[in-house]
This record gives sequence, C-alpha cells and structure tokens, in this order.
Amino acid sequence: MTSQAPLVVDDRERGLFRVHRSVFVSEEILRQEQEQIFSRSWLYVGHESELRKPGDFVTRRVGGRTVIFNRDRHGTIRVMLNTCRHRGAEVCRLKSGNSRVFTCFYHGWAYDSTGRLVSVPDGDSYSASFDRTELGLHQPRVESYRGFVFANFSAGPDSLVDWLADARYLIDLVADQSETGMEIVAGTHHYSMRANWKLLMENSVDGYHGLTVHQTYFEMLMNLGITPPGTDGNRETGRGIDLGHGHAVATNPELGSPLMSPEVLVERDAHRAALAARLGPDHASRMVMTRNLGIFPNFVIVDLNWGIQVRTMYPLAPGHTEITGWQIMPSDDSDSMRRYRLENAMSFWGPAGLATPDDIEGLEQCQRGFASVTEVEWSDISRGMKKPAPSIVDELQMRVFWREWNKRITGTGYEPEGQPYDADYLRSDSSAQTGASPR
Amino acid sequence: MTDMDLVNVTGVSRADVEDFLYREAALLDEWRLEEWLDLFTHDCVYEVPPPDLPDADTARSFSLIHDERTLLEQRVIRLKKPTAHAEFPHSRTRRQITNVRILGHAGDEVMCTANFAVYRMRNGIDVVYVGRYEYVLKFSADGLKIKHRKAILDQSVLDPQGKVSIIL
Repeated sequence: MTSQAPLVVDDRERGLFRVHRSVFVSEEILRQEQEQIFSRSWLYVGHESELRKPGDFVTRRVGGRTVIFNRDRHGTIRVMLNTCRHRGAEVCRLKSGNSRVFTCFYHGWAYDSTGRLVSVPDGDSYSASFDRTELGLHQPRVESYRGFVFANFSAGPDSLVDWLADARYLIDLVADQSETGMEIVAGTHHYSMRANWKLLMENSVDGYHGLTVHQTYFEMLMNLGITPPGTDGNRETGRGIDLGHGHAVATNPELGSPLMSPEVLVERDAHRAALAARLGPDHASRMVMTRNLGIFPNFVIVDLNWGIQVRTMYPLAPGHTEITGWQIMPSDDSDSMRRYRLENAMSFWGPAGLATPDDIEGLEQCQRGFASVTEVEWSDISRGMKKPAPSIVDELQMRVFWREWNKRITGTGYEPEGQPYDADYLRSDSSAQTGASPR
Repeated sequence: MTDMDLVNVTGVSRADVEDFLYREAALLDEWRLEEWLDLFTHDCVYEVPPPDLPDADTARSFSLIHDERTLLEQRVIRLKKPTAHAEFPHSRTRRQITNVRILGHAGDEVMCTANFAVYRMRNGIDVVYVGRYEYVLKFSADGLKIKHRKAILDQSVLDPQGKVSIIL
C-alpha cells in the first residue's frame, strides 16, 4: 500500500486512536492480510498433548491451508501441508487418528509419518530426473513453546520465542500450572460468525464490554452467590499490558469460584498451596489472576482460573470468520476438579455458553453497522490512552494489536505503549524450578 | 433384547411419547421456557455433546452443554431477559420431530429417541440444526417428566449455524 489515506490513526499527543472501518469489509484488505500476515506469521497449530503416541495425527485448517499435525514414528511433532505432490489431492481425509502412512487415494502416492514419499505405483515409468526425495509432503517451519506448537509458512529467520516477546511469560503462567503438563480436553468448539476476524481478536482482550455484553452472565454468578470484580462499581481494575510484536494481555483479579462445591474448594486451595511452595508466593499469586492474552495475529488464551480457553480465528471472507475453541487444563487434575472446570467453561464459553453467544452477537452487530462505512468511516479505540497505567476496561490491548497490523499492511512503524510487563516474581529462587527460567 | 424391553409397567406407548415431544417442541417454539422447565425432574440433565465427538461423556469433555437443574434454570432465566443479546429480539424457531422410537423401559422410566430438525430464523438469516434426541422420561402421577435430554448434533462444524443460543 503506498500513498493511500491512513487505515489506523495513532495520535499519541492528543490521545486519540482510530481504525478505518474499511479494514473490516474490504476484499482487498483481506487479500493483503493473507499475504502479509497469515503467510508470514507464527500461527498456532495445536498443542503437543493432542498427539500422545507416535503416529497420532489430526488434520485442521491453519492460515487457509489444510495441514496434517502429527507425531512421526520417531516421536517428532510435524506440520505437513495436506496436499499430494503429484496432483494436489488431500492425502489424509480423516479428522484424527494414528497412521504410519498417508496414501493419496487418487493415484496411490504414499508418504510416511515423516512426510517422505515412500511409494509411487508403477514408479519405473518415470525418467531418471524424477527425484522422489524432493517430493515429500511440504513442511513449513514448526516451533513449539511450552507445548504450544506454531507453524510459519514463510522462510524468515525469526524464531518463535523471539517473536513471542513478553507473551512467553504469560504462556509460562499457564504451562507452569501443572508439574505433569497441561493437556487439551477432548471436544472442540468449531463454529463461525458473520463478522470480521479482527473483531474477535479485539473482543478477546477487551474488558470494557464485560458488564454490558455479559450482564446476564454476571447476574447468573450473583444468583449463585458470587460477586465478581468490577460489579461493585469500580470497573478500573487490573491492567492492560503491551507485550511487544502486537501481543497484549488484560490481567485482572480472579472472578471468583462459581459453582464450586466444598470438596472442590478444598482441592483448589491445596493445589494453590502446592503452587506457592513450588514457585514462590509472588509467582503463585500472579498465576491465579485472570489473563486474556492475545498473540498476534490470531491466537488467544483466556485463563479465568476455573477454565482456560485456547482459541484461533481465521477469515473466510471479510464478514465471515472460522473460530476454533479448546479447553486446556492440568493433566493431573482429579475427576471432580476436571468436572468443575468443565462445568464452568461450558457455562461461559462456546456456541452454547451463557457468555460467548452475546460476544458474537455484538461483533455481528458491528459488522452490520459497517454497512455505513461511507458515512461513518472510523471506529474509536482511544480509551485510557494517556493514562500511566491503563486498566482492563481501557483499550491499550486493542491498540497494540492494531499497531502491528498497521505495520504489516501499510509499513508504518510504532512505539510501545504503557509500562512493560513486570516479571519480578521470576527473580525469587524458587522460580528456577519452573520451565519459565531464563531462555 | 434386554430385560428392560420386556417390562412396561408405565403403560406408556409411542403415541404418548410423541404427544409429549410435540407439546414440548411447541413450548420451545413459543418461547414458553418456564413451562418447558416445569417438564423436568429435579435431578435432570440437559446435554449437547461436542459436535466433533458425539459419543463423548458431556461432563468430562468440552461439550456444548451439560446443564444440571441449577444451570438449566439459569439458562432459562437468562434467555427470557432482553439483555440476553444473542436472543434479543428472539429467534423464531420451528421444530420438526420425527422417527420417534421407544428403546426400552426400566421401572417408571422410558428410554426413547427421535430425530430433529430445528430451524432458526433471525435477522433475515435461516439456519437448521439437525440431529437426534435421546430422552429418559419418568412416569409419575402428574404425567411424564424429563430426567435426561440429550441433543446430538449431526453438524460437526457449526457453520453457518454459529451460535447455539436457543434450546435445541
């Protein structure tokens, strides 16, 4: 994009931030996003716990491509494009399973679990120049951080951990919740919305909408005897923090423990005491805050203590988005704790939760409102812009996303906003026992 | 054939079950949700398994819904409020219930199944949810009550349905 009018106005002096609504409706912008963002970013593919044994695989769509996410026969995690090198058909047509070989049913070319082409029917008919070793399944760059596996379709040299910047500390606060590892729970929420994908990235870290959009959810909590933070009149709790590279977090005191039986409460307290003993009290108390973490461009972890949502979103069209949601939890949780977490997670998240459908409704209403883009060109995201320490109901988290987005699309550079993430709790000795030690 | 197929102490017939399910569908289509809630026992469960794992244990997987009585009441309270934004204004729905079969009897309980197509119309957009119900109905002095209601979706990806903000 060259001399076009700006899409993002970031006026630090006056404390005003605006986004041009064409970015939500334009086919041309979507094409640029696919080239300049989704083809050149670390994209979340899945979690290592989804692939327990050598040969385990799942297929899913990542950045518009279908991929095979598998653990090969040697135990190595791989991401392979699900397209035959012969004529293009998908070589794996199952959603999940365990396989030593992926055979394209069209002409019978077969690949092993490392992606190597191992069988070409009537292979003698090819010339001497036909080189099978060059015709394995295409494999993008793959890196993993604390069990979260990402792929990057570009050839760039940037490592995942460098790209994550301070967001890695927030991933650590999830990964360190269990000594036996975190695991994705069976059951996937795979659904769509009639709104632009970026609206869900905004919404996933937006504390400002909480009491208006989720009034009925908070009323349900109060019906069950819980008083969540922010409902006592003081909404300016928590912090929105710029984590670098377009990543941000909204972190807040915990919401309370809805639906918790006395037995589970005892177990929860014992687990927290063990965390404090293992990590140190500062670290453990940071861990029990809530965190809505947005990792650019399209990966979200929402940790509300009683449930941890992992989510991706991809554009199908400017006004149509594919959403996938999972739950992740400590693999050593008891059956009663798992049931407790899932009961809360289901009552909040997903297409049939008591909260998510209202989020989606809000975003779909925004998308409908964008029909007036010719007359009403700008959305405002200025809240809290000149504050020294923006709270979760301010909009720093969204501005952080938009600055990186604007850099990718228009080449405009930016400076960080607000105070950097404070990882002081890692300085205590006990933190050396975690995977969060300096890397 | 199991023992429970042989004993039908309730005398409930397929026609009785059909009448019950059709009346329930009408209450839902008419948004008479408090009356619908009255059809349930106090130890009830309403559940919708994860769309990608229709056979999963809904209490131990990331399902769409696993509501015991307390949450089911909260779901109904919420849906009747104008602040339940996803359903305000309400969707119009129309339920087609077919292929009703009694699968067995156990004491005062009747196990049955039916197919469903639930049409949802809102904002000029029409979607249809397709699947199968499993019920455990309990026979009592004031008629049949729902002890267990499971709606198993055939759609594994909810596109274009998106939300399941109505009762399936």
